[in-house]
Amino acid sequence: MRILPRSIRWRLQLWHGALLFVVLAAFGLTSFLLVRESRLRRVDQELLRRVAALATAIRPPVHREGPRDGVRDGPRGGPRERLPDEGAPGQPRPDGERGGVRPGRGPGGFPRPPGPAPDGGPVPVPEGAPGRAGPQDILLLPAQEELFRAGEGPDAGFYFAVFAPSGGLLRRSPNAPDGVGAPEGGFFNEYFRNRGDLRERAHRSRGGFGIVVGKSVASDVAELRRLALWLAVAAAGVMALGLAGGSWVAARAIRPIDAISATAQKIAAGDLAERIAIAGTDSELGRLAQVLNATFDRLCDAFARQARFTADASHELRTPVAVILSQAETILSRERTTGEYREALEACRRAARRLRHLTDSLLTLARLDSGAPEEEAGPVALDRVAAEALELLRPLAAETSVRLEAGLAPVRCAGPEDRLLQVAVNLVSNAIHYNRPGGSVTVRTAGEGGAAVLTVVDTGIGIGAADLPHVFERFFRADPSRSRASGRTGLGLSIVKAIVESQGGAVSVESREGEGSTFTVRLPAAADSLLVPREDPAVQ
Amino acid sequence: MRILVIEDEPDLLAGIVRALRDEDYAVDTAVEGVDGLFKAESWAYDAILLDIMLPGMDGWEILRRLRQTRKTPVLVLTARDAIRDRVRGLDGGADDYLTKPFDLAEMLARVRALIRRGAGKPLPRIELRGAEIDLGGRTVARAGETVPLTPREYALVEYLALHRGQVISRTELYDHLFGEDDDTMSNLLDVHVSNIRKKLGHDFIATRRGHGYCIE
Repeated sequence: MRILPRSIRWRLQLWHGALLFVVLAAFGLTSFLLVRESRLRRVDQELLRRVAALATAIRPPVHREGPRDGVRDGPRGGPRERLPDEGAPGQPRPDGERGGVRPGRGPGGFPRPPGPAPDGGPVPVPEGAPGRAGPQDILLLPAQEELFRAGEGPDAGFYFAVFAPSGGLLRRSPNAPDGVGAPEGGFFNEYFRNRGDLRERAHRSRGGFGIVVGKSVASDVAELRRLALWLAVAAAGVMALGLAGGSWVAARAIRPIDAISATAQKIAAGDLAERIAIAGTDSELGRLAQVLNATFDRLCDAFARQARFTADASHELRTPVAVILSQAETILSRERTTGEYREALEACRRAARRLRHLTDSLLTLARLDSGAPEEEAGPVALDRVAAEALELLRPLAAETSVRLEAGLAPVRCAGPEDRLLQVAVNLVSNAIHYNRPGGSVTVRTAGEGGAAVLTVVDTGIGIGAADLPHVFERFFRADPSRSRASGRTGLGLSIVKAIVESQGGAVSVESREGEGSTFTVRLPAAADSLLVPREDPAVQ
Repeated sequence: MRILVIEDEPDLLAGIVRALRDEDYAVDTAVEGVDGLFKAESWAYDAILLDIMLPGMDGWEILRRLRQTRKTPVLVLTARDAIRDRVRGLDGGADDYLTKPFDLAEMLARVRALIRRGAGKPLPRIELRGAEIDLGGRTVARAGETVPLTPREYALVEYLALHRGQVISRTELYDHLFGEDDDTMSNLLDVHVSNIRKKLGHDFIATRRGHGYCIE
């Protein structure tokens, strides 16, 4: 099954979106957690401050007989319980305020004689609270009372409950919610706890009194929720912007690829002249486009060459057929003399031979092109092959009074012998054909650094610089008039090239017009011929 | 009718020339482009058979240059049969296009059609002065009877008939009836004209003294 879409653009988009989502989610979550943490810490610090303040107000029972004394003496008189976190930062308390006793303070304050702990019900009015509930009285200074005023805001809305060591509720602030539990655990155990929207600090003092200070964090929670919502909205906005931007960027990045594929499609449809318009050549896609254009050029050239080859081949094949047809038709159209018949038949024979030669050459080329493996490719003595070619062509050379010379050092190369003979014969007959009367053709073989080299030098008409790059092309003739009449097909050198290259060799030509040409064939030498001296100076 | 054949393949040229001469055309030949253009520009041939792949100068170039001076009908003979080549040939000023290898009968028919059209006579039969000339069968009939004419006599009648009403000079007649290889004697034309008059009637061909001959 395929999960990712095929289009690169959409895949980019998808990855981009996923990445953006992860980043935004991580960022939003971190921000949210940090804000929440800081809020909680602030509440916790306030709680701690109040626990400390409250702890000072509790008289330890072990040193006093009655709670009243303790109350009367005030926090300054008797030994006090150590605060859990006295002197903690954020709780500076000026000394002057500590001493200021102002009873009967506002509705949020607490009366000096503390009432007994209520039995669970709400405690709306501090004055109305019952007298006593345990052995301990709790005296709150106005400043301490102030800490527990009702209302909203970061400094208000705190409540407290004080529990006797036995677990009974000694006292609680009027705004304390129901069900405030005593601190758990033994002495000095203190911890934060959450009950619904309530955040509480539970503290058990040395005397075993339990102090719980708490605050409703409902507003904070609501605010945090709002924050989360805003973060989500902002993240969604950024995500949408990011996706849109990403889509634009992806589209821009993909556009050259679209252009390339559109061009390639046009070329595939047959418009070979089409090329990719290259905007920036430095980018990766620009370079790709350049490479593709170069490939298209080569393809186009190959197609053009193929088309030319087909046209040339059909032309070359049709001409002899036209000769045979026209000769036969005219000669048969009426009674002719024996001489005329003979002439026509000779013309037909020439045309037929030409056809045979052409078809043989074309078949050879086709076989070489197909890359079908040759039957045998044992080591061949190249010098002997060259000598055989010279022997075969001696009559032709004599006919055109061209001198044949040889400098054949023994060298062996791999390859089918008949093909190599064809190479030598084609090169030498070419050299004879394009020579001048009294000229010479020199054939040399030699071993040269791992290569068997066959060189054919003629003193003929040479090849013009303009024609030189084309001499190995099929049906190329520098001068058609000279060659057509003498039965040359224009395939000889291309066959040489095809054979040599099929054996892993290379053929090259140097020429100067009017002075002659030098064809050099390099073939991989057979292993046993590497030590043969470079050239035999005796035969020059 | 005088025809120029420009073709570099000697055996093919020989076959074409023999076929044309068998039809009593006067035939000139060129085996090379520059020579071919020179001949084509120098003489008022009735038709030119032109190969495209030629040494010296290719057929397209010959056609292009020839069209600057002459409107001789040209039949392009080539082994290139791609549509593009044919279109190029016809657009380049060729009047017809024949792909090698071709049947000689077709080639001859196309040559006849070219000559006819070149003279502004699209029909293969011409009737004049009681005689009917069959350009396809190369015969002249009078009252339903075929009049025996020698090839050269027929060619003379045909040329004058194709240019009916025009006075044709002796030189022009020589040019069109005799190839470059023919030995022409100055009085040969008079002999032919007199023979034609014997066979088709004395006033079939009018003599305009000092100008030439004419069929009215």
